[in-house]
Amino acid sequence: MILCVDQSEADREATRAALDSTYEVETTASLSDARSVLTERPVECLVTEYDLPDGTGLELIRAARNDAPDAACILFTDTPLDDIDTAAFGDVVAEYLSKDDPDAREELAELVEHALLFRNQTAYPLPDDEDARVAALERYATDPESLGDSIDRLTELAVALFDLDAAAVGLVDAHEQRFLSCFGISFDPIDREETVCTYALLEEGVTVIEDTSDDPRFEDNEGLQSADIRFYASAPVTTPEGHAIGTFCVYDDEPRSLSERDRELLSLLADEVMEQLTLRRRLRERGGGNDA
Amino acid sequence: MRDEYRFTGLPLADIRPGTSVLVSGPTHDGARSLSMQMLAGGYDEGAIIVTTNKRASRMAEDCQRFGIDVRDDRTAILDCVGDDDPDVPARVLPVSGPSDLTGIGMRFSDVYREFKTTDIDRVRTGLCSVSTLLSFGDLRTVSRFTHTLVGRIDKVDGLGVFVVDPSGHDEQAINTLAQFCSGRIEVRDRDGRTELRTRGLADQPREWTPFDAFP
Repeated sequence: MILCVDQSEADREATRAALDSTYEVETTASLSDARSVLTERPVECLVTEYDLPDGTGLELIRAARNDAPDAACILFTDTPLDDIDTAAFGDVVAEYLSKDDPDAREELAELVEHALLFRNQTAYPLPDDEDARVAALERYATDPESLGDSIDRLTELAVALFDLDAAAVGLVDAHEQRFLSCFGISFDPIDREETVCTYALLEEGVTVIEDTSDDPRFEDNEGLQSADIRFYASAPVTTPEGHAIGTFCVYDDEPRSLSERDRELLSLLADEVMEQLTLRRRLRERGGGNDA
Repeated sequence: MRDEYRFTGLPLADIRPGTSVLVSGPTHDGARSLSMQMLAGGYDEGAIIVTTNKRASRMAEDCQRFGIDVRDDRTAILDCVGDDDPDVPARVLPVSGPSDLTGIGMRFSDVYREFKTTDIDRVRTGLCSVSTLLSFGDLRTVSRFTHTLVGRIDKVDGLGVFVVDPSGHDEQAINTLAQFCSGRIEVRDRDGRTELRTRGLADQPREWTPFDAFP
């Protein structure tokens, strides 16, 4: 959904009209109303004026970076850039487009289309096969309940096998990592920019982070700190077509290494998860399309 | 099909519009020189250069030295340093500092649009340097900024050259930033000879190849 925020009703409706033939569009007139929408519904793209009755567009974008970190944010405004103080908002990052130009709304529509297609305001790199990967994920992950305890058995086995604190199997969708099983640890869904697996998906084979506090990508990661994770290793859960849709992860509270043999075993566990997902998918398809 | 970006006097093949590259190497060993030379385009092209640690007047001098035709209607310097010199021949646009990534990105979008209204639609963009941004900001913010700028350059069929000096930064940080770009050009000095090699770019030298750092 695209959220357009502008206190001028005429401008707001003109912006809506430029976008709503292609996208679902929600509009609000104030920062506070926009914040409510952001906390309640998934926003893919935020288009906001700078001058709002109860704050500025940059304040709103800062809030959006918290509630919808992957959203494309565009300051679409008739305030000239010289009159906007970005210094205090240097870390929010957003597009700027002047509303004055007669072609402004055409340009906005192009900018929104490009931003949604390429998702280039994420704070993390995307795999080359991102779209196909997410599509594959949807085919395999429709009914996690059907997996029963099968994945839980594997995470429990992994912890015993490697003599580590914890193990988890998570699937990484467009914006979040969701867990099919956790053993020795408990995770709610994690924003993609917060999870190590986001980076692991970009690598071939097994990823090992011997000390997460010694890696610039994760040294300030509060989620890892509160879960007391210092060591991370994962093997990709890869579909038969070659798309990595998730990871089989193991964790420890001390930095350590992982032997070649253990890396092979971790890969076998990940392959076993894929096998389970594939079998459940086949069962669903044989079952007469109840889930389709 | 848009014309590709050409590089005069460099051992680099033409590069497809919409491409951004990370140029990495010690600044004094030619990474900066290579980047500036890559930003020198034809008379119908514009250049937008972000300077994070050199005054705009010095940057304009460097541009001229490396073959960029500096004119205020087609050369913009986004100045994070602060330079009151009114005689810089380029269009100098102030940014509050190298931690103001929002300001840099928005200035870029705005000046690019201004160039376009004067029929300059081929623009080479240089960021000199990403190292300064990493020193002033956290990796996540610099990542989002880089991703956004690379996306914008792609959308407008531009050419992006992001300069980074890997010394003093963790290799993982550099690798992460390289992942946002289409490819990477590494620069080194070997016995007084500057060399480059590329990764991730089609039809470019993959083995160390000498180039002239002081043309």
